[in-house]
Amino acid sequence: MEGFSTLLIVLGVFVLFAILGYNRLVRLRNMAEKAFASIDAMAKKRYDLIPNLVATVQKYMEHERATLTEITEMRAKAVSGNLSDNEKVDLDNKISRAMGGIMVAVENYPDLKANQNFMQLQGSLNEVEEQLSAARRAYNAAVTDYNNACQMFPSNVFAMIFNFKTKRLFEISERERQNVDVKSLFN
Amino acid sequence: MMPDLEALDERRKTVVKRRTIVILVTLLGLLLTTVIYINMDASKQDNNSVFYFIILMAAILITGIIIGGSWARDKTFYSDFKKQVIEPIVKFVSPDLAYEPDNFVGSDSFQRSRIFLNRVDRYSGDDMVHGKVDKTQIWFSEVKAEYKTTTTDNKGRTKTTWHTIFKGLFFIADFNKHFQASTVVLPNRLGRGFLADFFKKMNLSRREKLVKLEDPDFNKHFVVYGEDQIEARYVLSTSLMNRIREFKEKYPNPLYLSFVNSFLYIAIAYRKDLFEPSYFKKLTRFSLVQEFFEDIQLAVSIVEELNLNNRIWTKQ
Repeated sequence: MEGFSTLLIVLGVFVLFAILGYNRLVRLRNMAEKAFASIDAMAKKRYDLIPNLVATVQKYMEHERATLTEITEMRAKAVSGNLSDNEKVDLDNKISRAMGGIMVAVENYPDLKANQNFMQLQGSLNEVEEQLSAARRAYNAAVTDYNNACQMFPSNVFAMIFNFKTKRLFEISERERQNVDVKSLFN
Repeated sequence: MMPDLEALDERRKTVVKRRTIVILVTLLGLLLTTVIYINMDASKQDNNSVFYFIILMAAILITGIIIGGSWARDKTFYSDFKKQVIEPIVKFVSPDLAYEPDNFVGSDSFQRSRIFLNRVDRYSGDDMVHGKVDKTQIWFSEVKAEYKTTTTDNKGRTKTTWHTIFKGLFFIADFNKHFQASTVVLPNRLGRGFLADFFKKMNLSRREKLVKLEDPDFNKHFVVYGEDQIEARYVLSTSLMNRIREFKEKYPNPLYLSFVNSFLYIAIAYRKDLFEPSYFKKLTRFSLVQEFFEDIQLAVSIVEELNLNNRIWTKQ
């Protein structure tokens, strides 16, 4: 009888730990997913700016027509939906790179640089860029917490039982780490 | 400035002289009356105690008048010092700045910063400087905030003790980005590691939650709490974190920052009184002027060091 009640207590403690561990993992995973959703929201904000940018810029830019068309196409693909998370990230990176190229090319068009409309757009773009970077960093922090829980004892036991998989971190590009100082490009 | 300083230094010397004389005369008077009293016959003492009392009272009254008079004069020494020394230094640092010796950053701003959550029972300050540094509006002054505790012992006597919440330089600047959620950067007193992280997370007095940032050097110096994980990172961009860390490494004083309602609040704790002359040090020393200059320059340089004039975002 005594052996039985001991077993019961041990089992009870295990179940309690399992519940707590499971809930913690779920909470951390939800936080990571919420953070990813906000990256998505920021990315959308940026997509909204692209048509404006293209419209303003193409009157001036003769030699960058191809890049501009490419950006427009990528944006169309991005807003069309039905992309996996990884595809979204890849596309986002490509758009970032192309837009960086445009911003550098602006250097050759002094009229464009002085354009009021363009300057406003540039401010909005910087803002979105910065918010995007903040969202990515927040996501990475949330995913690190989640991954730690998935890999560290004792929570890793429950992660294994309930099949929680570690998530991939965003690679923060060198450019982002430097924190784009677009203004210096124009001076 | 040098002739002003020389004249002020003369006045400082007379102030010190006068104070010394007052103290010496008072001591001498007390000594004398006590000696007379002791040397009286024991039998006469009862009769003479009234006489002694009157003399003592008169002595206290006279010293009171002298001290009061010299205080009033010292006060003009203070205000002249600020007008003739501190103000020109402020103007030298930047002509766009205004200086108000008796004004200070208000307690409402102090509490709005959310850096210190204690109840403030006594609040004072002086030496307010405000104005625009390029595109950035700034305000700073010396402030002292205290709270009190009252204890009652078993005999029913109550005792009030004052505790300093913060003493030092309090700085406000119009931040270059818009944001809604508050973010607070506090000195890291717990160090690093598993236990430290646990206690940092357990900060129940704050509505802001722990924000784990990715820069280990920054985390060595600071703990960050924020209402919004993303906005905290929007405000604390990687470059701003670097700049804050560099600033901290340059000046070892405890450094607190907060970002509330698009304003940046910075509190730098000092033990010494800022921008005050010392009676016992020569005013004509160059190092003294240099010290005042550096203290003001430090506050103004925050704009430059944290790159607050860089307004490439929608907030102009």
